[in-house]
Amino acid sequence: MISSTLQITPTPSLRPNLFSRMFARTDWVIAAILLAWFILVIVPLAVLFSFSFFETKSYATIYNPSFNTWISLFESGRFEVTLRTLRIALTVTAIELLIAYPFALWLAKGHVSKGMRAVILALLTIPFFLDISSRTIIWRAILGQNGLVNTVLMWLGVTDTPVEWLLYTEWSVHFGMLISLFPTMVLPIYMAINIIEDTLIEASNDLGATPWQTLSRVILPLSLPGVMAGVVFTLGPALAAWVEPSMLGGGFVNLLSNSIESAYTALRYPVVAALSTFVILMLVVLLGVMILAARRFGDLSSSFRVLKG
Amino acid sequence: MTPAHSAFSIGGPAALSASTGLSYWAGWKHIGKWAGLGMIALIYFPLVWLALLSISVNPLSGIPGPISIEHYKALFANSAWHMPMVASLIIGLIVGLVCAVVATIVGRAVPNASHPGRMLLMFVLPLFVPGMSMGAALFIFTRSILGLKLGFWSIALGHFVWAFPFALLIILVLTTRFDHRLVEAGRDLGASNWRVFWDIEFPILMPGIVSAGLFGFLMSFNEVMRTIFLRGTSETMPVWNWVQAAAQQSQVPIIFALATLVLLVTLPLLATAFWFLFVRLEKS
Repeated sequence: MISSTLQITPTPSLRPNLFSRMFARTDWVIAAILLAWFILVIVPLAVLFSFSFFETKSYATIYNPSFNTWISLFESGRFEVTLRTLRIALTVTAIELLIAYPFALWLAKGHVSKGMRAVILALLTIPFFLDISSRTIIWRAILGQNGLVNTVLMWLGVTDTPVEWLLYTEWSVHFGMLISLFPTMVLPIYMAINIIEDTLIEASNDLGATPWQTLSRVILPLSLPGVMAGVVFTLGPALAAWVEPSMLGGGFVNLLSNSIESAYTALRYPVVAALSTFVILMLVVLLGVMILAARRFGDLSSSFRVLKG
Repeated sequence: MTPAHSAFSIGGPAALSASTGLSYWAGWKHIGKWAGLGMIALIYFPLVWLALLSISVNPLSGIPGPISIEHYKALFANSAWHMPMVASLIIGLIVGLVCAVVATIVGRAVPNASHPGRMLLMFVLPLFVPGMSMGAALFIFTRSILGLKLGFWSIALGHFVWAFPFALLIILVLTTRFDHRLVEAGRDLGASNWRVFWDIEFPILMPGIVSAGLFGFLMSFNEVMRTIFLRGTSETMPVWNWVQAAAQQSQVPIIFALATLVLLVTLPLLATAFWFLFVRLEKS
């Protein structure tokens, strides 16, 4: 704990000249990096947004601003795809939250040994660095007609014929997404709960609150920022999920990402732009709704203050 | 009254009264624990199954059968995956190296910046943008607006934008805990800026820099979503896997073997990095 008290205090240097000269030079490099980053990240996103107001005619993009591309998104079968994507993404996020919150609570405050905690955190982080497509394609071999699950079920005599709905259905898409998005929900919630002072929880217990009251009145409000971060990190990839619907949906479950890909293959870039922007906008809107809901539930800014210490 | 030292646990002491009994039920804690552990098992089980199927005679049957290494033989007889593999390795190395260097520079600057929060938010913004949207944005910007011919360079650029926030966060773990009195002590003793960095800061930041580079490499090596948009006509390893798996079922056994080999290299690397970052760092 000593190190944390010694940390980033902006130390008034004994040799201001040398110090400032050195930082003046690093400032240049930092400014250049910031500029490059701005061009690499912010500008493309702005271009993406503006591109959605163009349209394509006979494989050429017409640079004439209009809402035509946006309007076409809500016509035809695409609206159905949008609703399906929203429904699946929200379902997955909700289930994820239900499983991840108690687990994060146990991990942070359930008297887990230090080594065990390190192992679990590592196990939750490692999947970020593994190839998603080979991890997903293997589920075909597990859920398929003569896969592991059906073999076990038939061996147990639960069913005589292979269960068909295990693969290439909405169920398998939900399932695949649940597994790949679990760490993104647990980790932020864990971090938020982990820094809640034990003394606050003890005080609540001492004052006679039941565990449920302590959870709902103390821990939950204080961990709201973590919950919101978890929801954003889970909902974003869920809205743009592509590997799971293509690998486990078998062409029967089309989501927005599949529309984006087919528009990309058809060289209809404004449609790509509009759909991609739409995914980002949905994320922003849902985040806004969550912040409003959180305000009713508890004072969010106060929990940020506590978390900052 | 519960003793003060029994910090919070969902299943506290036995029920005080019947009405609050459910709240004190010890099972809640176990449900939370085992549901989560079950999810982790579901993340790792497919990896084991993948390895088992890759050494089976007929991987497509779904059940590991008699052991055979014929798919590994077929993999090594087949040279189609060499080019994508080399491309992925080179792109990964470049992205990892650039991530390590830039993240070190930025990671040292963020804690001293006038608005550290804003600066950090700008650098981690790509974490919030779904991969497909970011890929599409970079694609439209480079291809349609700038009119450039896409290839390995644009793949590397897309990977860098994706991997850099992670590399930065890793370096920040170290730089925010860095004791600046060490730098001043070095300077008071007459060391030049470069010597201060090289002899004092660098050894302390070393585990973070190595991990940032390693994670940058792995994020790049396994990236699919952004690559699909930014690849032009070039192919990386995951994209080759993807195309093969989607196109023909007969290639799947080879992909299983290849993916298993990649995992066998990746997992120990990751374990070492985590050991460096969390176990050794705690001790020092």
